Amino acid sequence: MKLETALRYGAMLAVAVAIGMGAYLTKESKATSYLSSDAKACINCHVMESYYATWEHSSHRERAVCVDCHLPVDNYIDKYASKSLDGWNHSKAFTLNTYGRRMLISDDGARRVQENCIRCHASRSKTLIKNVDRYHAFDSENLGDRKCWECHREVPHGKVRSINGTPNNLGVKWDR
Amino acid sequence: MKKNTLILVIAILGISFMTYMMLSIGERKQEQAILNTAPIIKAEGIETRSDKWADAYPHQYDTWKQTAESNEIEDMVKKYPQLAILWAGYGFSKDYNAPRGHANALISNRSTLRTGAPTGPNDGPMPMACWACKSPDVPRLMQEHGELEYFTGKWARAGDEIVNPIGCGDCHSSQDAQLTITRPYLKRGLDAIGMTEDKITYQDMRSLACAQCHSEYYFKKTPYTDKDGKDQIAAVVTFPWAKGLAAEDMEEYYNEIEFKDWTNKMSKAPMLKAQHPGYEIFTTGVHFKRGLACADCHMPYTQKGAIKFSSHKIQKPLNDIANTCLTCHKQSEKEFKDIVQEKLDRKDQLNVIAMDNLAAAHLTAKKAWEVGATDAEMAPVLATIRSAQWLWDYSIASHGSFFHAPGETLRLLGVAGSKAQEARITLAGILANYGVINYQIPDISTKELAQQVAGVPFEKLVKAKLDFKKGLMQEWITDAKEDGRLTSTFVEDLPVKSAYPQN
Repeated sequence: MKLETALRYGAMLAVAVAIGMGAYLTKESKATSYLSSDAKACINCHVMESYYATWEHSSHRERAVCVDCHLPVDNYIDKYASKSLDGWNHSKAFTLNTYGRRMLISDDGARRVQENCIRCHASRSKTLIKNVDRYHAFDSENLGDRKCWECHREVPHGKVRSINGTPNNLGVKWDR
Repeated sequence: MKKNTLILVIAILGISFMTYMMLSIGERKQEQAILNTAPIIKAEGIETRSDKWADAYPHQYDTWKQTAESNEIEDMVKKYPQLAILWAGYGFSKDYNAPRGHANALISNRSTLRTGAPTGPNDGPMPMACWACKSPDVPRLMQEHGELEYFTGKWARAGDEIVNPIGCGDCHSSQDAQLTITRPYLKRGLDAIGMTEDKITYQDMRSLACAQCHSEYYFKKTPYTDKDGKDQIAAVVTFPWAKGLAAEDMEEYYNEIEFKDWTNKMSKAPMLKAQHPGYEIFTTGVHFKRGLACADCHMPYTQKGAIKFSSHKIQKPLNDIANTCLTCHKQSEKEFKDIVQEKLDRKDQLNVIAMDNLAAAHLTAKKAWEVGATDAEMAPVLATIRSAQWLWDYSIASHGSFFHAPGETLRLLGVAGSKAQEARITLAGILANYGVINYQIPDISTKELAQQVAGVPFEKLVKAKLDFKKGLMQEWITDAKEDGRLTSTFVEDLPVKSAYPQN
């Protein structure tokens, strides 16, 4: 009887502690920020800072945040499936420190970005429409596997990208 | 019982996992904080020795060192002997050279005949203010002893303290390397024009860091009581900005407080000396109006391997047209050089006309005094000469005004030349009243002749200067090295050049 009471209170206490810790962890890890599309959520992990800095100094800043290019936007199932998969892979890699020094986009990630390039530019950019030649006619077979950024190499993250090589990458900003 | 055990085990497993995650997040956040924090060069105060910044900012330091390459002496009094007359009775008639690179600032300052040949801390012609723009040791001393205390006494008082030429600590905070204003007089100048600190943007700072020194100023006599209770008078560098940054605004400011820098030895006119209103005249030019800062052209982005940084070899953008002008304009380098040369030629022509007229006016006024002209006759002419020379000086005293603001520079030179002519016409009338017609001014076609007329004892000044350089100046350097204020052999070994022979 006594053991049972102790167990019951012990379990209650443990659950209370777990709930408290869970709430604190949610705050510490900024978990709720991932529900938004704010680009700053991506620099919760510092490995993304140079990508953030280069984007912030690019013209894309005015039109597109991270998820506008890196997640599918026209299909909710695809969007949240991708977001969950990325989230799982990223947090695993970052927590266990298994990411390499040279980070490359995954094939699925590249597919999404390419689709998003076309989504905006095919309809919005007059220049592009005028210049529909062998490299810009997306429905022609001539294009093959080529991706937009094989030519537009600096869009939008620039050529120089490393912790100390990226311009303006220091987190200290002039804040007066 | 089973249920409770199960809940307990699950909860404990959850707690363990969350503890691990919390530790992991804490570690990552620490990493992030380190990555996002600039290295602290010095925990408090100003690190004045640029070589101590080199570990953290090697590329910036290397390019800063290259400013030493700009070290040729261009003797402006030799080029334009009229200057000796325009500044007769004032230091600039002794020695005045074209500007050189930042690293050479202190050598130039110690070598020029203007700073004289002091033999001890309370000797010499110049006040402490003459160091004000030459070294990060200046704001260090201001922080240590107070601004008024700094501006008290003779130039020679702090020769052993001010030993590091213009460098990192002049523009950057030693704590986080951010751009900062180290000179309190610029802050007061900005207050006077209503540009409060909260309105200053980063782009503003990329000009204001330069404006700390490349601005017009005068020494404001400020009485105060020092910490020993003694009455002192400080000669405080002050920007005459309260009425605006234009030449006419500052002239009005000076006239209102009846200020003069000195009395011209030839004409007895109460004169103003424009120092180097580079920032002020830049604000009237098209590049400023299009939102550019000094650093955009004078410190272009440079790449070394994967590292991109702004060049600290501050120099004329013409030396690096490809990385400066051509990043916005689409012409060839040759075309650019030609355009700038054309602007320079235009300025030079009007500059010489204005200087010739000013020199003639000063010398004719001297003649008028000699033949008996009265104060009442002379006063309006002298006021015209003062105004003419101020406008002329404002337009050319800053480096590169012909490019920073070509329109304004030409306008000022035009008005200055015309006012000097006005003075000469009036003076011709005065001379005629005393029976002197067709007065010819003496020959001032070379530096030697002009300095003779202006009463500059050149040989004597040079001899005293050389004694100073062998004596007191060496003591300063030795003291500074012993006390660790000067640690850079690079700075120590910079070649000494001057417009007069070194032996």
